Amino acid sequence: MKTTDIVAILAAALLSAPSISAHHSFAAEYDGERPVTISGTVAKIEWSNPHIHFYVDAKGDSGAVTQWKFEGYPPNMLIRQGWKRDETLKLGDAVTVFAWRSRLDPNLGAAREITFADGHKMTVGPPAGTGGQ
Amino acid sequence: MNLRLVTVLGALMGCVLPAPAAAQSAAAPGGVKPVPRAADGKPDLSGVWITGALQLLIGEAEARAILQADAAAGRHVPPPREPPPYKPEAEAKRQEYIARRGIDDPMARCLISGVPRITTRPLPFQIVQMQGQVILLYEAHHAFRIVPTDGRPHPDDIEPSYLGDSVGHWEGDTLVVDVTGFNEKTWLAGVGTIHSDKLRVTERYTRDTYDTVVYDVTMEDPEVFTKPWHTQEIFRLRPNERLREYECIENNEDLLRFEKLLEREDLFRK
Repeated sequence: MKTTDIVAILAAALLSAPSISAHHSFAAEYDGERPVTISGTVAKIEWSNPHIHFYVDAKGDSGAVTQWKFEGYPPNMLIRQGWKRDETLKLGDAVTVFAWRSRLDPNLGAAREITFADGHKMTVGPPAGTGGQ
Repeated sequence: MNLRLVTVLGALMGCVLPAPAAAQSAAAPGGVKPVPRAADGKPDLSGVWITGALQLLIGEAEARAILQADAAAGRHVPPPREPPPYKPEAEAKRQEYIARRGIDDPMARCLISGVPRITTRPLPFQIVQMQGQVILLYEAHHAFRIVPTDGRPHPDDIEPSYLGDSVGHWEGDTLVVDVTGFNEKTWLAGVGTIHSDKLRVTERYTRDTYDTVVYDVTMEDPEVFTKPWHTQEIFRLRPNERLREYECIENNEDLLRFEKLLEREDLFRK
């Protein structure tokens, strides 16, 4: 098989790949074209199904605090990716969260990755998807 | 074959590609564990397995390593999944569901997924093979299927259901499961993949190596399809894995957000 054939096959497979959403279509709720990065302090964690949620208090330039809410994978998927409840993410942690914005709520996001104060990163949610496949 | 290219592109795709059984068997290096056999001589499918979008469950690094191992073993890349061969009316409905960004997905409402979708959810499932029956246990929804393999037919009082009614038999080393008696409330494999209560699914489970099962699925539905729809996945054995509890409806905030979004077409459709 020629390399070009393989490229063609895999490109076709990519285009026809099924939605990889864990629970619901990403695009139903979130806008994959509107990423956001928020730095702040973890204020609340909901270790629940079908998604975990965590809240981050982010201080703006004026000093005002805005609380962001982020959605992530369910606990069972995080555990299998190396997360430990009450250890990996804790109240008071200083974090930077990369996410995509909710279509509905200006301070809600689908979180993809958390960067902790010591620089290490943890995946917390799925990549943006079209939800249309 | 440029294996590195295959690996890289496979990783970019974010999914594990199924491989033909013959290629996997031929590529097995010496010293690998043989396919285990049950007392009756049939391949034993028992174990905890994962399939579908592996990177969602076990992370991208490990999923990529599996792809690389596939490439190193010379496993062939099968053709990509074909789109469902819908009649025009059914395809129009699918396109509308896609245009609505999948917001109507029964899975997002924590309703139990049907066959074959429940198998490809990014959560493990366990096969318990016994004399005369095979039990399928799914972490998703705490669902189970009991598949008689003792020759009995489907019961004559089937109520339409999400998972249908299953009976199985062996064709050589392949477990063939006939599933019928579905309701119309599930999607088959992806957004908008609707079906009718005339759906009939034939699953073929072939443990081609110690670590893998080739899962072939044929979906027939004269109400929506112009011809059978065929898909293939590879199950990966997870010897150190156990099923955990997953109560989907526990805190499903999506339901409320969906209602709000559907009231705001300006936000939802843009």
